[in-house]
Amino acid sequence: MDQLDDLLAEYFNPAVAPKRLATRLARPAARATVVADPARFHLEASDRGIRRLVYGRGHDTAATAAARRHLARAREELAEYLAGARTYFSVPVDLEVGDFQGRVLTQAALIPYGETTSYAELARRIGHPRASRAVGNALGANPVPIVVPCHRIIRGDGSWGHYAFGGDMKTALLRLERTTPALVGSATTSIVCRKGCAHEQRISERHRVVFASLDDARSVGYRPCKVCQR
Amino acid sequence: MDEGAFTKVAEEYGARLYAVAFRLLGHRADAEDAVQRALMKAFAARAAYSPQWAVSTWLYRILTNVCVDELRRRRPTSEIDDAHRSTPSPAGAIGARIDVARALESVPREARVLLALHYVNGLSHRELAQIRGISVNTVKSQLARGKQILRVRLERGPHGPARRSPR
Repeated sequence: MDQLDDLLAEYFNPAVAPKRLATRLARPAARATVVADPARFHLEASDRGIRRLVYGRGHDTAATAAARRHLARAREELAEYLAGARTYFSVPVDLEVGDFQGRVLTQAALIPYGETTSYAELARRIGHPRASRAVGNALGANPVPIVVPCHRIIRGDGSWGHYAFGGDMKTALLRLERTTPALVGSATTSIVCRKGCAHEQRISERHRVVFASLDDARSVGYRPCKVCQR
Repeated sequence: MDEGAFTKVAEEYGARLYAVAFRLLGHRADAEDAVQRALMKAFAARAAYSPQWAVSTWLYRILTNVCVDELRRRRPTSEIDDAHRSTPSPAGAIGARIDVARALESVPREARVLLALHYVNGLSHRELAQIRGISVNTVKSQLARGKQILRVRLERGPHGPARRSPR
């Protein structure tokens, strides 16, 4: 054993567990996440994709066969998302918004699952660093919340800010995202998928390995799934 | 595994799992939260447990999955704490710990996770391979690479000449 081994053994010296740890761990966690009943969401779809998502009173609207297909797919993905079985939406959206709002929503859609950013940072990313209030307004008028994840934008001081479906829903969504892994590999195939991919859903529990990034997965011989990471 | 067994598992493995989570996440509250989430996941997925696996290996797999996903959400320390990093570390044991902590930041995340599992609980290469779903040879090469990076960092120091020779 060389000196580096000694240094590492000393550095990784096991931490002393806090008193009564086992009692606290065994206590049923009151934090099981129940976000919302998927049936309480209502969708409007066109031939090109999802146009609107509302919560509470309302009804689904889809005039054509293509619109009904988009609507059914969106409903399925939404139910999986709310159950913590999906981390991204692949259903197309059909947004009729202005140029500024379009840019804000496009940037918001790029924020990775489980991460948050501030209104000011989003304003900076679209090239209008002083327009954080306008960014907030554009997000407030997001016609498809959750699908375009405007809940991942919070105030610079860490408080939630306004959310179309209410602060409790925003808390529940962010908590759900915090406890759901985004990249799951299969120990049998050495392929890594995004959570929600059809191939990911077939990985058995005992073969699941979570990665923090695709680079991490590649570094130990995994490759990205060709279906969900094209 | 019934609920009584769950409590027994928490009593038997809680401290060991906590030790790994604490060394990976660096915060007591986060570590405790991660262990609790891992135990709940293990309980929920108890039907998938195969007796071919040691219970500890199964639990370490689930715990490591939770911790790795938690690490994904964290910004690299270098972005947060660049100014602090350039300050010289104090001499003695605390200085050595700070040096190792800084050097570990430059080790790729997967290798860092393997180092923590290996040194905190003395897990074998075979167990590490099972836990991370990789081959034993990949475990060996990752550990060797991680240690090589540490050696170079500790010899040169992040911003200047060596303060100690690890060999």
